Amino acid sequence: MTVAARFKSGRTGPGDAYVSDHSGSPHARFMRLTSYALVPLGMLSAWWILGLAGKPLEAVRAEIGRPIPALVLLAFGVIGMIHARRGMDDIIEDYVHDKALKAQAIVANTWASRVIAAIWILAILLIAAPK
Amino acid sequence: MADADTDRLAARRPLSPHLTIFKPILTMTMSIAHRITGAGLYVGMALLALFLLGAAIGGGAFSAVSWIASGFIGNLLVLMVVWAIFHHLLGGVRHALWDRGLYMDAKGRELLAQGTLVGGILLTLLVFIFKTLAS
Repeated sequence: MTVAARFKSGRTGPGDAYVSDHSGSPHARFMRLTSYALVPLGMLSAWWILGLAGKPLEAVRAEIGRPIPALVLLAFGVIGMIHARRGMDDIIEDYVHDKALKAQAIVANTWASRVIAAIWILAILLIAAPK
Repeated sequence: MADADTDRLAARRPLSPHLTIFKPILTMTMSIAHRITGAGLYVGMALLALFLLGAAIGGGAFSAVSWIASGFIGNLLVLMVVWAIFHHLLGGVRHALWDRGLYMDAKGRELLAQGTLVGGILLTLLVFIFKTLAS
Protein backbone atom coordinates (compact mmCIF):
# COMPACT_ATOMS: atom_id res chain seq x y z
CA MET A 1 0.00 0.00 0.00
CA THR A 2 1.70 3.19 -1.11
CA VAL A 3 1.00 6.23 1.00
CA ALA A 4 2.02 9.47 -0.70
CA ALA A 5 3.35 11.90 1.88
CA ARG A 6 2.73 14.85 -0.40
CA PHE A 7 0.97 15.67 -3.64
CA LYS A 8 2.70 14.19 -6.66
CA SER A 9 1.53 15.64 -9.94
CA GLY A 10 0.96 13.49 -12.98
CA ARG A 11 2.44 16.29 -15.10
CA THR A 12 5.64 18.31 -14.94
CA GLY A 13 5.99 22.00 -15.64
CA PRO A 14 3.27 24.65 -15.59
CA GLY A 15 -0.21 23.54 -14.68
CA ASP A 16 1.09 20.60 -12.67
CA ALA A 17 -1.05 21.55 -9.68
CA TYR A 18 -4.18 20.89 -11.75
CA VAL A 19 -3.89 17.17 -12.29
CA SER A 20 -4.04 14.41 -9.70
CA ASP A 21 -1.08 12.25 -8.76
CA HIS A 22 -0.05 8.82 -10.05
CA SER A 23 -1.57 6.77 -7.22
CA GLY A 24 -5.23 6.62 -8.23
CA SER A 25 -5.73 2.85 -8.16
CA PRO A 26 -3.92 2.15 -4.86
CA HIS A 27 -5.83 5.07 -3.37
CA ALA A 28 -9.20 3.71 -4.51
CA ARG A 29 -8.33 0.22 -3.27
CA PHE A 30 -7.19 1.62 0.09
CA MET A 31 -10.47 3.53 0.53
CA ARG A 32 -12.47 0.40 -0.35
CA LEU A 33 -10.55 -1.85 2.05
CA THR A 34 -10.83 0.55 4.98
CA SER A 35 -14.52 1.14 4.20
CA TYR A 36 -15.28 -2.59 4.52
CA ALA A 37 -14.02 -2.46 8.11
CA LEU A 38 -15.88 0.80 8.71
CA VAL A 39 -19.31 -0.62 7.76
CA PRO A 40 -19.80 -2.70 10.95
CA LEU A 41 -17.66 -0.35 13.06
CA GLY A 42 -19.62 2.69 11.84
CA MET A 43 -23.03 1.17 12.52
CA LEU A 44 -22.08 0.11 16.04
CA SER A 45 -20.30 3.42 16.74
CA ALA A 46 -23.33 5.41 15.57
CA TRP A 47 -25.36 3.56 18.20
CA TRP A 48 -22.95 4.37 21.04
CA ILE A 49 -22.21 7.92 19.86
CA LEU A 50 -25.95 8.65 19.90
CA GLY A 51 -25.96 7.28 23.45
CA LEU A 52 -23.58 10.07 24.53
CA ALA A 53 -26.06 12.86 23.73
CA GLY A 54 -27.25 14.79 26.75
CA LYS A 55 -25.62 12.45 29.28
CA PRO A 56 -23.89 13.57 32.50
CA LEU A 57 -20.19 12.75 33.00
CA GLU A 58 -20.69 9.51 34.93
CA ALA A 59 -23.11 8.13 32.32
CA VAL A 60 -20.72 9.03 29.47
CA ARG A 61 -17.88 7.25 31.25
CA ALA A 62 -20.09 4.22 31.94
CA GLU A 63 -21.12 4.05 28.26
CA ILE A 64 -17.53 4.20 26.94
CA GLY A 65 -16.04 2.29 29.86
CA ARG A 66 -17.45 -1.11 28.89
CA PRO A 67 -14.97 -3.26 26.91
CA ILE A 68 -16.93 -3.82 23.67
CA PRO A 69 -18.00 -0.18 23.06
CA ALA A 70 -14.47 0.95 24.00
CA LEU A 71 -12.82 -1.46 21.54
CA VAL A 72 -15.28 -0.71 18.73
CA LEU A 73 -15.01 3.08 19.19
CA LEU A 74 -11.22 2.77 19.37
CA ALA A 75 -11.09 0.85 16.09
CA PHE A 76 -13.63 3.22 14.52
CA GLY A 77 -11.56 6.27 15.53
CA VAL A 78 -8.29 4.87 14.21
CA ILE A 79 -9.48 3.28 10.95
CA GLY A 80 -11.95 6.13 10.46
CA MET A 81 -9.25 8.79 10.68
CA ILE A 82 -6.93 6.84 8.36
CA HIS A 83 -9.81 6.70 5.84
CA ALA A 84 -10.74 10.35 6.52
CA ARG A 85 -7.18 11.53 5.97
CA ARG A 86 -7.05 9.98 2.50
CA GLY A 87 -10.51 11.31 1.73
CA MET A 88 -9.51 14.83 2.76
CA ASP A 89 -6.40 14.45 0.57
CA ASP A 90 -8.82 13.89 -2.34
CA ILE A 91 -10.71 17.07 -1.51
CA ILE A 92 -7.49 19.10 -1.24
CA GLU A 93 -6.14 17.69 -4.51
CA ASP A 94 -9.41 18.51 -6.26
CA TYR A 95 -9.99 22.03 -5.01
CA VAL A 96 -6.64 23.61 -4.02
CA HIS A 97 -4.85 24.68 -7.19
CA ASP A 98 -1.93 26.62 -5.75
CA LYS A 99 1.03 24.24 -5.73
CA ALA A 100 2.64 25.49 -2.50
CA LEU A 101 -0.70 25.79 -0.70
CA LYS A 102 -1.67 22.31 -1.86
CA ALA A 103 1.53 20.82 -0.44
CA GLN A 104 1.03 22.67 2.87
CA ALA A 105 -2.64 21.66 3.08
CA ILE A 106 -1.74 17.99 2.61
CA VAL A 107 0.90 18.15 5.37
CA ALA A 108 -1.58 19.96 7.65
CA ASN A 109 -4.20 17.30 6.91
CA THR A 110 -1.75 14.49 7.68
CA TRP A 111 -0.93 15.93 11.08
CA ALA A 112 -4.48 17.01 11.92
CA SER A 113 -5.76 13.48 11.28
CA ARG A 114 -2.95 12.00 13.39
CA VAL A 115 -3.67 14.40 16.27
CA ILE A 116 -7.42 13.65 16.14
CA ALA A 117 -6.74 9.89 16.17
CA ALA A 118 -4.23 10.29 19.02
CA ILE A 119 -6.68 12.31 21.17
CA TRP A 120 -9.39 9.76 20.38
CA ILE A 121 -7.18 6.83 21.46
CA LEU A 122 -5.91 8.60 24.59
CA ALA A 123 -9.40 9.62 25.72
CA ILE A 124 -10.90 6.13 25.33
CA LEU A 125 -7.92 4.47 27.03
CA LEU A 126 -8.14 6.94 29.94
CA ILE A 127 -11.84 6.13 30.36
CA ALA A 128 -11.85 2.40 29.66
CA ALA A 129 -8.47 1.03 30.77
CA PRO A 130 -8.64 -0.90 34.07
CA LYS A 131 -7.43 1.31 36.91
CA MET B 1 6.73 34.54 -19.73
CA ALA B 2 5.75 31.34 -21.44
CA ASP B 3 5.22 29.81 -17.99
CA ALA B 4 2.85 32.60 -16.98
CA ASP B 5 0.86 32.10 -20.20
CA THR B 6 0.58 28.36 -19.64
CA ASP B 7 -0.45 28.93 -16.01
CA ARG B 8 -3.16 31.32 -17.12
CA LEU B 9 -4.38 28.84 -19.71
CA ALA B 10 -4.31 26.05 -17.13
CA ALA B 11 -6.34 28.17 -14.74
CA ARG B 12 -8.94 28.74 -17.45
CA ARG B 13 -9.13 25.09 -18.44
CA PRO B 14 -12.51 23.68 -17.36
CA LEU B 15 -12.29 21.41 -14.32
CA SER B 16 -14.17 18.15 -13.98
CA PRO B 17 -17.35 19.01 -12.05
CA HIS B 18 -19.08 21.57 -14.27
CA LEU B 19 -21.44 22.50 -11.45
CA THR B 20 -22.60 25.69 -13.12
CA ILE B 21 -23.75 24.04 -16.36
CA PHE B 22 -25.18 20.73 -15.14
CA LYS B 23 -28.84 20.44 -14.34
CA PRO B 24 -28.95 19.31 -10.68
CA ILE B 25 -29.94 15.63 -10.64
CA LEU B 26 -30.25 13.19 -7.77
CA THR B 27 -27.22 11.01 -8.53
CA MET B 28 -25.00 14.11 -8.75
CA THR B 29 -26.48 15.53 -5.54
CA MET B 30 -25.83 12.25 -3.71
CA SER B 31 -22.24 12.25 -5.01
CA ILE B 32 -21.77 15.76 -3.61
CA ALA B 33 -23.52 14.76 -0.37
CA HIS B 34 -21.09 11.83 -0.06
CA ARG B 35 -18.15 14.21 -0.13
CA ILE B 36 -19.80 16.74 2.20
CA THR B 37 -20.74 14.07 4.76
CA GLY B 38 -17.16 12.75 4.54
CA ALA B 39 -15.67 16.16 5.25
CA GLY B 40 -18.32 16.72 7.93
CA LEU B 41 -17.36 13.46 9.64
CA TYR B 42 -13.73 14.66 9.74
CA VAL B 43 -14.89 17.70 11.74
CA GLY B 44 -17.36 15.60 13.75
CA MET B 45 -14.61 13.15 14.73
CA ALA B 46 -12.41 16.06 15.85
CA LEU B 47 -15.22 17.46 18.03
CA LEU B 48 -16.07 14.04 19.45
CA ALA B 49 -12.37 13.44 20.22
CA LEU B 50 -12.38 16.67 22.26
CA PHE B 51 -15.61 15.61 23.96
CA LEU B 52 -14.15 12.20 24.88
CA LEU B 53 -10.94 13.80 26.15
CA GLY B 54 -13.01 16.15 28.32
CA ALA B 55 -14.95 13.16 29.66
CA ALA B 56 -11.69 11.34 30.37
CA ILE B 57 -10.22 14.27 32.32
CA GLY B 58 -13.50 15.20 34.01
CA GLY B 59 -14.32 18.26 36.15
CA GLY B 60 -13.80 21.61 34.43
CA ALA B 61 -12.58 19.95 31.23
CA PHE B 62 -15.91 18.12 30.86
CA SER B 63 -17.93 21.30 31.46
CA ALA B 64 -15.83 23.00 28.78
CA VAL B 65 -16.66 20.39 26.13
CA SER B 66 -20.12 19.17 27.19
CA TRP B 67 -21.77 21.54 24.65
CA ILE B 68 -20.53 19.16 21.94
CA ALA B 69 -23.01 16.45 22.95
CA SER B 70 -25.65 18.12 25.13
CA GLY B 71 -28.10 20.96 24.88
CA PHE B 72 -29.78 21.91 21.60
CA ILE B 73 -26.53 22.36 19.64
CA GLY B 74 -24.98 19.19 21.07
CA ASN B 75 -28.01 17.01 20.38
CA LEU B 76 -28.24 18.38 16.84
CA LEU B 77 -24.51 17.83 16.32
CA VAL B 78 -24.65 14.20 17.51
CA LEU B 79 -27.72 13.53 15.37
CA MET B 80 -25.95 15.05 12.33
CA VAL B 81 -22.85 12.92 12.96
CA VAL B 82 -25.00 9.77 13.17
CA TRP B 83 -26.86 10.72 9.98
CA ALA B 84 -23.54 11.51 8.24
CA ILE B 85 -22.17 8.09 9.26
CA PHE B 86 -25.20 6.30 7.78
CA HIS B 87 -25.40 8.45 4.64
CA HIS B 88 -21.67 8.09 3.94
CA LEU B 89 -21.84 4.37 4.74
CA LEU B 90 -24.68 3.79 2.27
CA GLY B 91 -22.83 5.95 -0.27
CA GLY B 92 -19.90 3.57 0.17
CA VAL B 93 -22.13 0.51 -0.29
CA ARG B 94 -23.33 2.12 -3.54
CA HIS B 95 -19.71 2.41 -4.69
CA ALA B 96 -19.04 -1.21 -3.68
CA LEU B 97 -22.00 -2.30 -5.86
CA TRP B 98 -20.78 -0.19 -8.78
CA ASP B 99 -17.29 -1.71 -8.35
CA ARG B 100 -18.91 -5.05 -9.14
CA GLY B 101 -20.69 -3.67 -12.19
CA LEU B 102 -24.12 -3.79 -10.57
CA TYR B 103 -26.84 -1.13 -10.75
CA MET B 104 -24.94 0.89 -13.35
CA ASP B 105 -27.85 1.48 -15.72
CA ALA B 106 -30.00 4.61 -15.51
CA LYS B 107 -32.74 2.93 -13.45
CA GLY B 108 -30.25 1.20 -11.15
CA ARG B 109 -28.18 4.23 -10.30
CA GLU B 110 -31.31 6.31 -9.71
CA LEU B 111 -32.57 3.60 -7.35
CA LEU B 112 -29.25 3.59 -5.47
CA ALA B 113 -29.26 7.39 -5.18
CA GLN B 114 -32.79 7.30 -3.75
CA GLY B 115 -31.82 4.42 -1.47
CA THR B 116 -28.84 6.37 -0.11
CA LEU B 117 -30.95 9.44 0.64
CA VAL B 118 -33.95 7.64 2.15
CA GLY B 119 -31.89 4.91 3.82
CA GLY B 120 -29.60 7.38 5.60
CA ILE B 121 -32.54 9.28 7.08
CA LEU B 122 -34.43 6.06 7.88
CA LEU B 123 -31.49 4.40 9.66
CA THR B 124 -30.87 7.58 11.69
CA LEU B 125 -34.54 7.66 12.73
CA LEU B 126 -34.51 3.93 13.56
CA VAL B 127 -31.41 4.20 15.75
CA PHE B 128 -32.85 7.34 17.39
CA ILE B 129 -36.16 5.61 18.16
CA PHE B 130 -34.52 2.41 19.45
CA LYS B 131 -32.06 4.41 21.55
CA THR B 132 -34.89 6.46 23.04
CA LEU B 133 -36.85 3.28 23.83
CA ALA B 134 -33.77 1.57 25.31
CA SER B 135 -32.95 4.39 27.72
